[in-house]
Amino acid sequence: MTDPAPLWAVLALPAVLAGAAWAVASFDAVLGAGARAAWPGREALRLLVQQPRRTRAADVPLTRLGSTLLPVAAVLAAVVLPLGFRSVSDLPEGIVWFNAMEALAWAAVWLTGWGPNSTLSLIGGYRFLAQGLAYELPHMLAITTAALGAESLRVGDVVDAQAGLWFAVWMPAAFGIYLLSALAMSFWGPFDQPAGRDVAGGAAAELSGVDRIVFLSGRWLLFVVAAAFSVPLFLGGGHGPLLPGWAWTLLKTAVVLAFLVWARRRIPTVRMERYVELAWVVLTPLAVAQALVVAVVVLNR
Amino acid sequence: MELKSRLLRAATARPGVLLAVRPGATRERLFVEAELVRRGWPCAAGPASANLLVCVGEATTAEDDWAERLWLGIPAPKARVTASAVERAVEALDRGRADLLSGAHQHHVGRHEQTDGDLHRGHHEHQESPDPAPESGRHTHDDHNSHGSEHTNGSSAGAHQHGAHEGHASHEGHNGHAAHGMHGDHDMGVVAGLPMAARADDRDGLRLDRLHVPLGPVLADWPAGLVLRLELQGDVVQQAAVERIAAPITARPPFWNEPWLRASAGERVARGDAARRLCAAHLDSLGRFLAVAGWDDAAAEARHVRDRALAGVAATELTSSVVPLIRRIRRSRTLRWLTAGLGVLPSEHAHHLGVTGPALVADGDVHGRVLVWLDQIERSAGDCDAPGTLGAADVTGPRGRTDGANLPSQALLDVLPGLLEGAEFACARLIVASLDPDLDEFTWAAPPVRGPADD
Repeated sequence: MTDPAPLWAVLALPAVLAGAAWAVASFDAVLGAGARAAWPGREALRLLVQQPRRTRAADVPLTRLGSTLLPVAAVLAAVVLPLGFRSVSDLPEGIVWFNAMEALAWAAVWLTGWGPNSTLSLIGGYRFLAQGLAYELPHMLAITTAALGAESLRVGDVVDAQAGLWFAVWMPAAFGIYLLSALAMSFWGPFDQPAGRDVAGGAAAELSGVDRIVFLSGRWLLFVVAAAFSVPLFLGGGHGPLLPGWAWTLLKTAVVLAFLVWARRRIPTVRMERYVELAWVVLTPLAVAQALVVAVVVLNR
Repeated sequence: MELKSRLLRAATARPGVLLAVRPGATRERLFVEAELVRRGWPCAAGPASANLLVCVGEATTAEDDWAERLWLGIPAPKARVTASAVERAVEALDRGRADLLSGAHQHHVGRHEQTDGDLHRGHHEHQESPDPAPESGRHTHDDHNSHGSEHTNGSSAGAHQHGAHEGHASHEGHNGHAAHGMHGDHDMGVVAGLPMAARADDRDGLRLDRLHVPLGPVLADWPAGLVLRLELQGDVVQQAAVERIAAPITARPPFWNEPWLRASAGERVARGDAARRLCAAHLDSLGRFLAVAGWDDAAAEARHVRDRALAGVAATELTSSVVPLIRRIRRSRTLRWLTAGLGVLPSEHAHHLGVTGPALVADGDVHGRVLVWLDQIERSAGDCDAPGTLGAADVTGPRGRTDGANLPSQALLDVLPGLLEGAEFACARLIVASLDPDLDEFTWAAPPVRGPADD
């Protein structure tokens, strides 16, 4: 059971997430050849002075709704994310809440892709729906497996259940699948096709200025939140020797994020037309088998 | 005011650059690309995220239309410069940055650029008049120079709904005003001045919208000057037609074929220089392919090695930087998994269409063609300092035989429509990148047999 968080945590949450997203973006920039850590900041400033633009017959409110929904969904999902043993709200159905907020991103990207009335951005929208179809099934099974292991949908209970052994150790398949889907749900890294450069930015192709900042930073936020959620689900949350809980959470989150950012540079973008086969033929049965093993263990406990 | 100018200075310290490369300007493109990397200025994927439009190569009046559309699609603050020669490229970039800061660019460009008044006006008439959408009165017809961005820019919208009209969909595929005549072809109703898309059966027999989308000539990691007229359903290509934008004919041989063309004209060309050029040409194609495949890290490395090769580093040094790159790409199972089976081009078919380069040797899919590049890069990197001169019999350039009845890239363009039909958008881009036709070849004054300048 986690302790209730103070009220100011509600205000602190978006700021902390933004800081974390900023740090990850800077780390990613530093890994590039000749790049500097200050670049994401400069990039944000550059977009900030840019005027908005509009394409003909665009549905502007729809586009704005879509691009704004993305960071909102990320922050809402993070409400159940514990720092140490405290989250802003440890809902009894925290895992379901997280998944529901993450699914809002589907709507966000689709609306952003549809709104500008532009082919390339529409293709970006299509791509994310295809991506959703591919990653969501194994993803749901993976997070269900973690909930099954703890016999609770409350994130705090999942963390408590890992006081002894991390779920990542005895549910490795579910952990691996979760990491893949964390990348896919934030359409980042090898799953960045919905905003791919080959479609001139895909769903973001027609966004400029503030709209673009909101959308792209929303993507970084979602990436950070999705990756950070693997810590309470599979890596024991705040459990660990010597250090306080919050420090363990931060450390583990940083390691997961650093791994994902590093791994991104080693592989090309995965196209859904190929990935969907892997997801449905290999990952889904694997996730079912993993859930079965966990269920048997839980029943015999 | 002080704060505002400092803010603007910081914000435009790294302007997003949209490169509009004209055919025949490979030398200038390579220089500008390297310069942008050195400065750390990002290359924008499209007009929306750009500040600075850099036109590379000599301008012709015929292409003003697409350059103009591109320009209108870029939101303010923006500037436009032309890098027409390597020597002037650095100065052009500096001027672009200065124009961004001063804010004088819009007027400057509007009045003084090569755009002749007629084209300019015609363009705006087309853009504005059929636009009944009173969206917000935020723009008037007069402020288009300074607020091109807010214009609904026929562009994106056009490409989506409009049959044979144009758009930037792809950042301007406009080849002239001819296409406007096709407005009458549509009887599907009109939205915001744009005809609705027609429908047709897709590959599963569903009736879906068919969008006519011009792809190119300005698109990130795209062969300069190429325009593909695609018929898309969803993101599946149902039909593709190849076009080239008009380009001035020059006496300067195309950069990548230069050594072989010179040799066949009787000049003495060192074998090492030819190997170096071949190595750099394939590294350039490889960098483009990897960027399209979404492997930015490897793409940046390929381009870095390419620049080193062109800078003339010794063969041993070049080999030592080529080998790890090649090994990394060859060993990538993900790349194999993602590109195997795409764009299969059997060698009989390739031969029949006159293909003579790596695409013929590969006798297979996208991945096979990349592997052929890798082999040739490795071999030619070792030969960079080879003694001797190129014989009259050495005629095989990076894209095939330079002495044939057909230009090597003409054959590659002929292959494209067949390979693209039925491919998904991302696959189509990979197929184009794996063939990487070089449209510079068409700009040379005396090729053996020249294709039509414009279809």
